[in-house]
Amino acid sequence: MMFYASLCWEYMKNYAKTRLTYRLDFWIEVLSDLMFQGLNLIFILIVFQHTPSLGGWSEAEVVFVYGFFMVPYGIFGTFFNLWNFSERYIVKGEMDRVLTRPAYNLYQILLENMDPASLFGSVVGAIIMAVSWSTLGLPFEMLDALMLIVFIIGAVLIYAGLYTALTAIAFYSDAPTGILPLMYNIQNYGRYPVNIYNKTIRFLLTWILPFAFVGVIPASYFLDRNEDGLSTLALLTPLVGVVVLSIGLFVWNRGITRYRGAGS
Amino acid sequence: MASAYLDLIRIRFLMMLAYRVNYYSGIAIYAINIGAYYFLWKAIYGTQTELGGFTLAQMTTYVAVSWMARAFYFNNLDREIANEIRDGSVAIQFIRPYSYLMVKLMQGFGEGIFRLLLFMVPGMIIVCLLFPVRLPTDPGVWALYLVMLVLSFLINTQINMLAGLFAFFVENNEGMLRMKRVLVDLFSGVIIPISFFPGWLADTMKWLPFQAITYLPSSVFTGRTAGGEAYRVLGLQVVWFLALLIPIALVWRQARYRLFVQGG
Amino acid sequence: MLAIDVKDLRKQFSVQKNREGLGGALKDLFKREYNQITAVKDISFQIPQGEICGYIGENGAGKSTTIKMLTGILVPTAGHLRVNGFIPHKEREKFVRGIGVVFGQRSQLWWDIGVIESFQLLRKVYRVPEADFKQRLDELVERLQLSELLNRPVRKLSLGQRMRCELVASLLHNPSILFLDEPTIGLDIMVKTEIRDFLKKINREQGTTILLTTHDLQDIEALCSRVIMLDDGRIIYDGGLDELKSRWSKGREVHFQFGERPDLTVLRNLTEGLPGVAWSLEELTAAMWLPHAVNVSDALARVVGGGVDIRDIKIIETNTDEIVREIYQSGTASKEATEKLAQSSDSVSKETVHHG
Repeated sequence: MMFYASLCWEYMKNYAKTRLTYRLDFWIEVLSDLMFQGLNLIFILIVFQHTPSLGGWSEAEVVFVYGFFMVPYGIFGTFFNLWNFSERYIVKGEMDRVLTRPAYNLYQILLENMDPASLFGSVVGAIIMAVSWSTLGLPFEMLDALMLIVFIIGAVLIYAGLYTALTAIAFYSDAPTGILPLMYNIQNYGRYPVNIYNKTIRFLLTWILPFAFVGVIPASYFLDRNEDGLSTLALLTPLVGVVVLSIGLFVWNRGITRYRGAGS
Repeated sequence: MASAYLDLIRIRFLMMLAYRVNYYSGIAIYAINIGAYYFLWKAIYGTQTELGGFTLAQMTTYVAVSWMARAFYFNNLDREIANEIRDGSVAIQFIRPYSYLMVKLMQGFGEGIFRLLLFMVPGMIIVCLLFPVRLPTDPGVWALYLVMLVLSFLINTQINMLAGLFAFFVENNEGMLRMKRVLVDLFSGVIIPISFFPGWLADTMKWLPFQAITYLPSSVFTGRTAGGEAYRVLGLQVVWFLALLIPIALVWRQARYRLFVQGG
Repeated sequence: MLAIDVKDLRKQFSVQKNREGLGGALKDLFKREYNQITAVKDISFQIPQGEICGYIGENGAGKSTTIKMLTGILVPTAGHLRVNGFIPHKEREKFVRGIGVVFGQRSQLWWDIGVIESFQLLRKVYRVPEADFKQRLDELVERLQLSELLNRPVRKLSLGQRMRCELVASLLHNPSILFLDEPTIGLDIMVKTEIRDFLKKINREQGTTILLTTHDLQDIEALCSRVIMLDDGRIIYDGGLDELKSRWSKGREVHFQFGERPDLTVLRNLTEGLPGVAWSLEELTAAMWLPHAVNVSDALARVVGGGVDIRDIKIIETNTDEIVREIYQSGTASKEATEKLAQSSDSVSKETVHHG
């Protein structure tokens, strides 16, 4: 454990060193990150100019969910930046190098691609959440703070597990780009109240690709909205996180044994 | 020469066929996307019958058609061009007896045709079965729309080329490309029809090429724009296509100059 | 103790068949067919500690696949495999701490940061104590003369500089086995020699076992006491380099440069009675081919004493390149090939006799 923590610190230092050489890039990245996220906020804001409520949820509530959603996503994005995994590690064969080093391979890859710029998203998300918290006049207790941390950790685990499994598809299939960019769209539907969807999509977002657990479900705990038992379901977030992450790691470790090296 | 370009389309088409995980998951994910948007819009409409000049039925069709059209015109040429410039392989393309940008265009077209035939058509059938999408009955509208679709592809590709070629002038334009993608998705009207935008923004959009990619042609297809007005849309697309040739030619000339005179 | 122990090792890949044309591609979309390709076919060999072993073969013979199994990168399809006492792919993280790996074609170092930062990071990854690390780094840096390069980022190094840094990186944790995949590819002669000398020294002083794949047979001649040769996934030769040479080289060739063009029959008459000697003549240069059984000085004495106007003499030993090429052409197991070679030299001698 100590070893892995110190490795993380080492990689972090190196990240800082390289980033200092390309400072402008860093800020452009932060900005484009926020814009990417902002697209959905713009959607929400425009839509609420035409309607007072979305499936019974007010603008402030939907914005609150949006803010919550950004926090774990930013943390996840910091440590999980494997969008070009297939290209870099499978096609170009960099996996070879990783596998000849004495540390868990997935951990090495995550550290090599760390992207702390994403944390700005979390900060912005936290601010949005705080602002809508006070707009909505919600009470804030110690328990809320604790639950917030638990839910955020749970949500990060869910992301990590899901995207680990999806990234590991590269070991099984020949697809170069993979389906990650497409998945990105689906994840965004976890930001909206799931009760607006039909059964199939709701089931999909809750239990198959549990993106509802990274957004609307845990957020509903604080909003005290218990339609279809949402805020009760929220308590399951850390458990779902552990299960999804286990599945992800299982798929990954199985995938590694199928790795076949680059062409030569 | 023309046959060489045709061959490029064919090769890219076959290449796309080779990745079947991408294919299957792509169809599924597009269907889920359209489904989620359908329910989202249904919730937004609530009890209202018309928003931003769209009835719910029109909006459903608009969403389905726009996403399917996006599947056709969307491509990664911006990233491909930027990567080839960054790793220097673009220099080799210059000495080949064809036009680099034409080659890219053809590759993008091959990819587009692939998605049109194997994505849009089956995807559209699925979506029509699942959701109340109303397709036009007039074959003239279909024919007109097909022409518009090609122009959407051309305009979007032109914008991609411009963004990609920027890699000649800046060290790292990854962030810029991401921002461009957000802007195109937002301003073209895929995410929200432009008639929903606040007045000042909708007015600004009239002076930009983006709405010619999705919003205007989709409006024709859903029957909101008809008759002579529809031909005006086609004319506008042609105008934008021609207008965008100018900056591309300029940037391209400047790029060649940089490559040959300053050695990249 | 054995450094590497391999028994009946096999690796199969399933490769998808691509049916031709548009129709084929469409069919592939719905039902895909696969071919089984066996890259390594039940090979066995053992390498004792402290040996430098060359692992050679043509592209696609299965060299890289074997190395990747030995280093734990690939999981074997069948067979037994022990390296340093570990089963590589099973106890990977523990196992790799005792080995060093250099892939000539791919960098082990981080592209953007200074070389020394890469080394520092590797120190952490391999958990090398600070004091050991410092001592070892100083030693390696001095030997390979890297002190000026340490602060440069890898992307600004030349290939030769990079390769020397790669070597240091692979040795920082003092591995007992070093795997080198094409370590000298693309380097100039100076750097090649330097690297070879360095490897020899490491092997001698630390007893590091080295297994290297290479296309450069000079690497083999300079470094290896033993050669394992692969063809189509099977071992076709495993033994000493000297043995390889004596067993496979057919003989020598002596080139003569004449003042004026001699008659071929005259030349043949000069070596009359020496078995297996063959002549060929082109303009003013003649080539005399001698089997090992014939003494070079005997043959030379006859020609020189034969009254022809000789301007220059060159004796050409068959080199490893040719031997290896010969083995590949003759194909499979070494015994058969030897016989085949013996036959072919027989036929040469018969021909000569006939002409004479």
